[in-house]
Amino acid sequence: MKTITVAFAGNPNVGKTSLLNHLAGTNLKVGNWPGATVEKKEGRLSFMGQDIVLVDLPGVYTLEPISEDEWIASNFLTEGKPDLVVNVIETPNMERDLLLTVELLERDIPMVLVLNMWDEAQKLGIEVDTERLSELLGVRVVKTNGRTGEGVKAILPNILEVIALREKPKPLRYGRELEEFLEKVRERPEETKAELIRKLLQSPKFETLRAHIKRTLGKNPYDLIKDERYAVAHGLYREVVHRRALHSRDITDALDKVLLHPYFGVPLFLLVMFLLFKVAFDFSLPFMDWLDSFVNGFLASLFFVLFSYFGVDEWVQRFVSEALVGGVGFVLTFLPLIAVIYFLLALLEFSGYLPRVAFLMDRFMHRLGLHGKSLIPLLLGFGCNVPAIVATRTLETKRDKLLVIAMIPFISCPARLVVFSFFALIFFKNPALVIFSLYLLGILVALLTAVFLRKTAFSGQLYHFVMELPPYRLPTLRLLFRIVWVYVKDFLYRAGTLIFAASVLIWLLLNLPPGVKNPSESVAAGIGKAILPMLKPMGIEDWRVSTSLIPAFLAREIVLGSMGTIYAVELKGEEKSFEPLKALEEQVVAFGFALKDALVNVLKPLPSAFEVEEGHEGLRRVVAGSMSPASAFAFMVFLLLYTSCLGTVAVIWRETGKVFASLFLLYSLVLGWLLGVLAYRLLSIWSF
Amino acid sequence: MNLEEVSPGQEVVITELRGKEDILKKVEAMGLRRGKRVHLLQKVGRNLLLKLDNSRVVISRDLARAIEVQ
Repeated sequence: MKTITVAFAGNPNVGKTSLLNHLAGTNLKVGNWPGATVEKKEGRLSFMGQDIVLVDLPGVYTLEPISEDEWIASNFLTEGKPDLVVNVIETPNMERDLLLTVELLERDIPMVLVLNMWDEAQKLGIEVDTERLSELLGVRVVKTNGRTGEGVKAILPNILEVIALREKPKPLRYGRELEEFLEKVRERPEETKAELIRKLLQSPKFETLRAHIKRTLGKNPYDLIKDERYAVAHGLYREVVHRRALHSRDITDALDKVLLHPYFGVPLFLLVMFLLFKVAFDFSLPFMDWLDSFVNGFLASLFFVLFSYFGVDEWVQRFVSEALVGGVGFVLTFLPLIAVIYFLLALLEFSGYLPRVAFLMDRFMHRLGLHGKSLIPLLLGFGCNVPAIVATRTLETKRDKLLVIAMIPFISCPARLVVFSFFALIFFKNPALVIFSLYLLGILVALLTAVFLRKTAFSGQLYHFVMELPPYRLPTLRLLFRIVWVYVKDFLYRAGTLIFAASVLIWLLLNLPPGVKNPSESVAAGIGKAILPMLKPMGIEDWRVSTSLIPAFLAREIVLGSMGTIYAVELKGEEKSFEPLKALEEQVVAFGFALKDALVNVLKPLPSAFEVEEGHEGLRRVVAGSMSPASAFAFMVFLLLYTSCLGTVAVIWRETGKVFASLFLLYSLVLGWLLGVLAYRLLSIWSF
Repeated sequence: MNLEEVSPGQEVVITELRGKEDILKKVEAMGLRRGKRVHLLQKVGRNLLLKLDNSRVVISRDLARAIEVQ
């Protein structure tokens, strides 16, 4: 049997995602519409032996091509040839939503109408005569509560019956004049109303007819069609909806009085942001550390012991335990952070607060040419650039998304703080000031990048602000967890594979040719020596510094560990006796401690993500001798700006494609180098 | 009078949408149509928060200027 394709269409915020989640469960997948940055959700399922694909169209108020969203929705309905369209309506706003219903009916596609948020409508005293509605349109009507899932079960059987019985909606009837004009443009009997309208409005063949309409009716054809659509939608609404005057207190109005307060709104947002930041990073940090030790300490050693037992060649042993297992571990360490950020963002989004942030903060952000919502990803960047870039999915337009993604990597994160504090403590009397100035430099470069992009690649675009603030709703935990799972799966599949491959490649560079005992003989050292002349203008004359940049592409803080190895002052973990069972026991205990730490961290008033541990004593002494303060500062500037972070590059790649990601990496490299050189020159003049 | 000149707390009726920009089609599809009654809740920065029927809509001042009200 052929797979049935069902398109879910509806206005924004009508609860399509929740419905899809109830229907497809964890079989939901996220991705992007081809050639667009608009998110596409798709769920596959089997119901009564029938394979069904549910496709979530972008939330739109009309199918008129105003922006990418409407274009995608409209295009899928014609080109994607769905077998059926499920039109989801937010029952409390039925009058508005019926416009889209009318436009969908013009397409002549079998339809099931879902009146969602039925419970909210009841509370507002709105009654809908569903039998009459069904009779007028020739379409089945299902009542649901998307939050709890009540009534959702009826959707699938109705879809199958409509398709099995070949039920079609009743043809729409517009006013006599318009119907006559539409018949005039008909060339084939099977043309749908939507096609006739498109021809009437656009086809060069009917130029004279358009002029005739304008002359006889005094309005242009587009306005005529628009008015007719509204008239039909309004007529339907009048016929089936009955309102009782009800005076229930509206929770949304009450909450908005506080959260959107002219004076308290912004401080409250900052408080929410602080809590988000704190919970996200402090809660996930112990788990990240635990995963790191579990994979690199336990699993890697376990493989090592097993291979030694079977007498596998040492180089192969190390490749499997360090590169393969280590690569998996590197991907896994991001998981707790990504999952927690997705959870909190989904909570903010589904509760209705996120759109309000846009409204609140737009007065500051629009001066920078950015959408109010873009402040959230930018602030998250101070915690970690990877989830910050992931968080740009809440931005609606491609322009905003790319602008913010190009800014985030310059926002300094704790990984950079580790490097900064190491060098600043060695070379400067006032390390705090140096670190602070580096943070400021990062923010400045982010802003200049935004200005630069707006003047060049993203110029000439009009920027209006139009959005709906949905009512506050408490999402169910089940919905949130499922959403998190869908995104985590997507991250593992797309960014995870890239991170894994690159970390294996870097291991190979450090350990090829086979049998190298000392990093100075490796391919990496060869590359390090080759790129050294390029670092000379920054006052860096030591190949060991340039070589340490290669493993540091994984993550900036690795620069210290790898310098330690290359300078041969810190020997990598000595072989200890490894007993698998005892070690496993230790790991279980460690997980318990991680859980405890996570909960304790969340309760502490200040974020602990910025606590820096001191270390690398031996390395301090050697590095102090091999660099000057000016070149150390230049090196820090370089590392601040150049996107030396595999995780960040991988998510940029995932979100924007490889062209943008490579161009951005190059841009950050050139900029880091230029400003590094500039910093070195300036500081050298002041005779540091 | 246009919508931008309305002060918070007032309720007005839309008489006309002027302007040719595409974005006004969206504004109209969102329910801001001729004959609709809207309640201006707040003006923040360059944006206006409106309530119409059971929905809350934010539009920027440049769009509000294109909406004639009574």
